[in-house]
Amino acid sequence: MTRKRKLWMRLTMLSLFMLIFVAPVILMFLKSVSFGWSWPDWRPTQFDLRGWRVVFGDPRIFSSLWNTILIAGVVVMLNFIIATPAAYALSRFHFRGKAIIESLLMLPILIPVLAIAMGLHLTMIRLGLTDQVLGVIFIHLLPTLPYAIRVLKSGFDRLKNEWEEQGAVLGANSQTVFWTVMVPLMTPSIRSTAVLVFVISLSQYVLTAIIGGGTVSTLPMIYYPFFTSADEAVIASFSVLFALLPIMFLILFEITLRVYLRVIKRP
Amino acid sequence: MAASDSFATEGNQPFFHFYLELWRNDTFLSALRVSVWVAFISTTMALIIGLFLTRAMFRLFKRDDWKFIAWFPMLIPHFVAAYICFLLFAPSGWFSSVVFQIGWLETMSQFPVFVNDPMYLGVILTYVWKEIPFVILMLLPVYQEMDLRYEDVSKTLGGNRWTVFKTVELPWIWPISLEVFLILFVFVLGAFEVPALLGVTFPKMIPVLAYDWFYQAGWVNRPLAQAMMVILSLLAIVAAALILTFSQRWRYKWASRRDDS
Repeated sequence: MTRKRKLWMRLTMLSLFMLIFVAPVILMFLKSVSFGWSWPDWRPTQFDLRGWRVVFGDPRIFSSLWNTILIAGVVVMLNFIIATPAAYALSRFHFRGKAIIESLLMLPILIPVLAIAMGLHLTMIRLGLTDQVLGVIFIHLLPTLPYAIRVLKSGFDRLKNEWEEQGAVLGANSQTVFWTVMVPLMTPSIRSTAVLVFVISLSQYVLTAIIGGGTVSTLPMIYYPFFTSADEAVIASFSVLFALLPIMFLILFEITLRVYLRVIKRP
Repeated sequence: MAASDSFATEGNQPFFHFYLELWRNDTFLSALRVSVWVAFISTTMALIIGLFLTRAMFRLFKRDDWKFIAWFPMLIPHFVAAYICFLLFAPSGWFSSVVFQIGWLETMSQFPVFVNDPMYLGVILTYVWKEIPFVILMLLPVYQEMDLRYEDVSKTLGGNRWTVFKTVELPWIWPISLEVFLILFVFVLGAFEVPALLGVTFPKMIPVLAYDWFYQAGWVNRPLAQAMMVILSLLAIVAAALILTFSQRWRYKWASRRDDS
């Protein structure tokens, strides 16, 4: 392949990628800030923030937004607390029945969450966990933990044992090794885990509906009734809000991570 | 819990009678048919397109920064993806408007029905868009670890493009492709969010039907919903067993290759 042709191919493929993966989201954003953009206009004619005003003028949205962020944040934290030791053990140690445990941990990805929720519903009613945020947080762990363990495990797999040993040789105890050697080297895995878990928690409708029983209101709970309403700019704004949350979370997480690394690298 | 309820019997009915009833239930059968159709088509398409994109991009670019564009849909929740699909493909959507501007349409109703259609094309499109990034995410590391010198061997021995693909790439990617296929297939079978928005009242996809039956008044159909979920779960366990055996065989092959060198 000549160089010029390769360059052309690259440009074509990149634009194809943008067209498939990013352009639809931009269209949605345009819809949310447009005014009276309806069939058969192929592009917006007037811009207006009415959709956004309606979304933020709705008092339910604020409390739901807070609930959603609280639940997703706690779910991310719990995932790290539970998944890190599990992933470490699965990556570093060999023991009997490891393959079986690994596939058991995969099951919640495969078994429909609806089946698990229907099965657990009665148990959770007995435990008094339904209709409250705690129960919803608990049930969100099911579809998220397998992914967290998987991503972190492959992170540990790539990280060679020697780094830990080097830290230990230099006289650091295992805690120091973990916080100053492993965490900085694992940042890509940590970042993907956090974002993945956040998005999955954000996207749960049916689990929150069943376990939260309508009393725990998260953003998807409001989104579904909105979907059937005819006001396109409002639904579009609401959808963009959903797309913005993970992006803002990613930025916030990245800043925290950077600050942490800077603090650690200080002599 | 759900399993034991689904086995519950009354009087002298056989142990499996809810399952037998399900098997005779036309609503269930059509739901099963449409669910398998959607899951199979969307997973296959996502896998093929994802494979093609990974291959092309991996060869064109030395660095893999492009993957962040491809991963973008992962940040979007499923139901928002469903809304985007609606925006683009609905009779009042963007494509319909564009086709009208070109002059191929006179009214909105002439545009083919892509969303809320009995063939579930909108649901399929949404899933394909959402799952391609996952396919790329899983396949890219395999391609990056692949020894491309085998490709030269195959080429010098006179292999055409298909032979090269078959002999060099396929042995590396098929275990992970199978895993991706099974994960996505079972996920689409059991996911509620997208078909709830873009589906139709008949036929419903299994999760939507199960939710309806489980929470409708009267609770008559509750055991049926549970039986349905038990069937799906069993399917998932079979899938997990398959993944496990294949990935282990693959790992074994890997280990022996490393010892050779």
